[in-house]
Amino acid sequence: MFALYKKELQSFFLSPIAYFVIAFFMATFSLTLIMDISNVTSSTYEFSFASIFYVNLFYFVILLPLLTMRAFSEERKNGTETLLLSSPLNVTQIVMAKFLATATVLLILLATTLIYPIITTIYGRVIWSSLICTYIGFFMFGLVCVAVGILISSLTETPLIAIIVSELAMLLLLLTDNMSATAFLSSIPVLSDLLDWLSNETKFDIFSQGLIQLSDLFGYVTEIVVFLAWTIISVEKRRWSRR
Amino acid sequence: MVEIQNLTKYYGNKAALKNVSFTVNENEVLGFLGPNGAGKSTTLNIMAGVIPSTSGTVTIEGYDIAQQPVKAKRCIGFLPEIPPVYPDMKVKEYLRFVAGLKGVPAAKRSTEVARVMERLKIADVQGRLIRNLSKGYKQRVGFAQALIGDPPVLILDEPTVGLDPTQLMEVRNLILDLRHNHTIILSSHILGEINAVCDRVVVINHGEIKADDTLERLEESIESGTVLRLTVQGSSREVPRVARAVEGVVRVSNVQFVRTGVYSYDVEIDADSTRNALLSALLQHGLEVLEVTTEKKNLEQVFVKLVNQPEKRTNLKDLLDEIDADAAAEMEAAEKELEAPRAETSEAVEESAASAQTEANADDSAEEEEEE
Repeated sequence: MFALYKKELQSFFLSPIAYFVIAFFMATFSLTLIMDISNVTSSTYEFSFASIFYVNLFYFVILLPLLTMRAFSEERKNGTETLLLSSPLNVTQIVMAKFLATATVLLILLATTLIYPIITTIYGRVIWSSLICTYIGFFMFGLVCVAVGILISSLTETPLIAIIVSELAMLLLLLTDNMSATAFLSSIPVLSDLLDWLSNETKFDIFSQGLIQLSDLFGYVTEIVVFLAWTIISVEKRRWSRR
Repeated sequence: MVEIQNLTKYYGNKAALKNVSFTVNENEVLGFLGPNGAGKSTTLNIMAGVIPSTSGTVTIEGYDIAQQPVKAKRCIGFLPEIPPVYPDMKVKEYLRFVAGLKGVPAAKRSTEVARVMERLKIADVQGRLIRNLSKGYKQRVGFAQALIGDPPVLILDEPTVGLDPTQLMEVRNLILDLRHNHTIILSSHILGEINAVCDRVVVINHGEIKADDTLERLEESIESGTVLRLTVQGSSREVPRVARAVEGVVRVSNVQFVRTGVYSYDVEIDADSTRNALLSALLQHGLEVLEVTTEKKNLEQVFVKLVNQPEKRTNLKDLLDEIDADAAAEMEAAEKELEAPRAETSEAVEESAASAQTEANADDSAEEEEEE
């Protein structure tokens, strides 16, 4: 399994995709940071990294499918899926290797953004405890998106379709709290509570306030497990119907 | 040793394999033969554990592929129809990855990769991106991948597709070399290839096994007769008549028009000595033989026959007889076709077919003799 993990990670950096995703995220992150600084009005120069991350959630959702689109669709297109399926690995190991490799890229991406808080610490004050919570929240949210992306890439052979559908799915998971806030749905408390609980935005909100709630952590982990299990089932199912 | 029992595979309602059973013995090369879409790749994919079967079992070296997939898959080297290579990787990098995937210990990976590259003669492209390799090289990299870890069972799905003649010979020699300590299953729709390397042949069509026999027995039945292809100047009716009169001629078939007064015939004889008798008989009758070529009844005929017949599991001898009977029927039909228009032009239109034919016969030979 480690061999596959290594190869997956390598292939992200052999093609320009990982560099592109990281660079693009850094660009949006930097731009929002600059805008935040220039918009500061009070004399004490205050801005919050949490709010920058919050804005970047949406750019991130557009960007991340680029990393996950190839997970299974490319294997299928190259005919290399047979290599993996005829190897001594089982499907769970294959899915986990791919998930962990993408998670590693995500970690590298988040690590590069650390440069701004570090510079800020030199010239000012950063509430690191709160910022670390934000990072954890963002990383967990990223993992959910990775799981969704891999799932959708296992359903289609066309990377472009994988990108678009993954973006939609991730946005939907992000914004269920906005749905629950509509007049109609909020009149049904059970449904609106459920949608609110499902929303990744609400969960991230709590994290970005410097709070780690077990329920939110549990929510993220549940989503990851569900999507990964779904991926395993989808790959297994395809084994049955493929020629 | 690989055992396949009652393998059945359904895609929805469509049966791709129906009760396929055969065994591949230790150190044997089994040719798996069938037209496109016969179920070859499906069977091989099931054997390699890529797809599950609907029912039936595949046992590899004593391990059931469905019950103990990890142990069974460790015994298999699989080369699928499309070589499973990553275009973005370099050859050596890719083979190292496969070695890791197959669980070759890290310390042995370098020597293993070097050994395999040496075997397939791809060491000179080890630093190149697979994307930039030609099809033949990609195919060889795919083959190299199957050999990594030295598995006892090799499953090769059309291993020589896309190779040039020299590479083809090299791969054939490699397979012949590997057979000493490997069990090899090789699929192909190219008969020459099966002929060159396989000990035994399993023919499959429409998901059913049509024949399972050794190559020796197959060849035995094939060498029973020699077919001469004659091109003769003269009447298309006189030549068969003369030829049939010669002792040792089994049959005359496949009459084809070459140009005015010249036809070609397939004459089957039982021994080589008959050829001289046949040729002198033809010359004595004033028929000029323009060309003689010898054709052996080949695997292709057997293959076509096997593939087209509806019943299951037929002895090869019977099949060859059937081929003969079919050819004879064709010959008769062809003769009738040739005769029909002439019979009409002759004056005896209303007379019985038999007398019309004899008359036309006489007319024709007379005409042609005049021409000569």
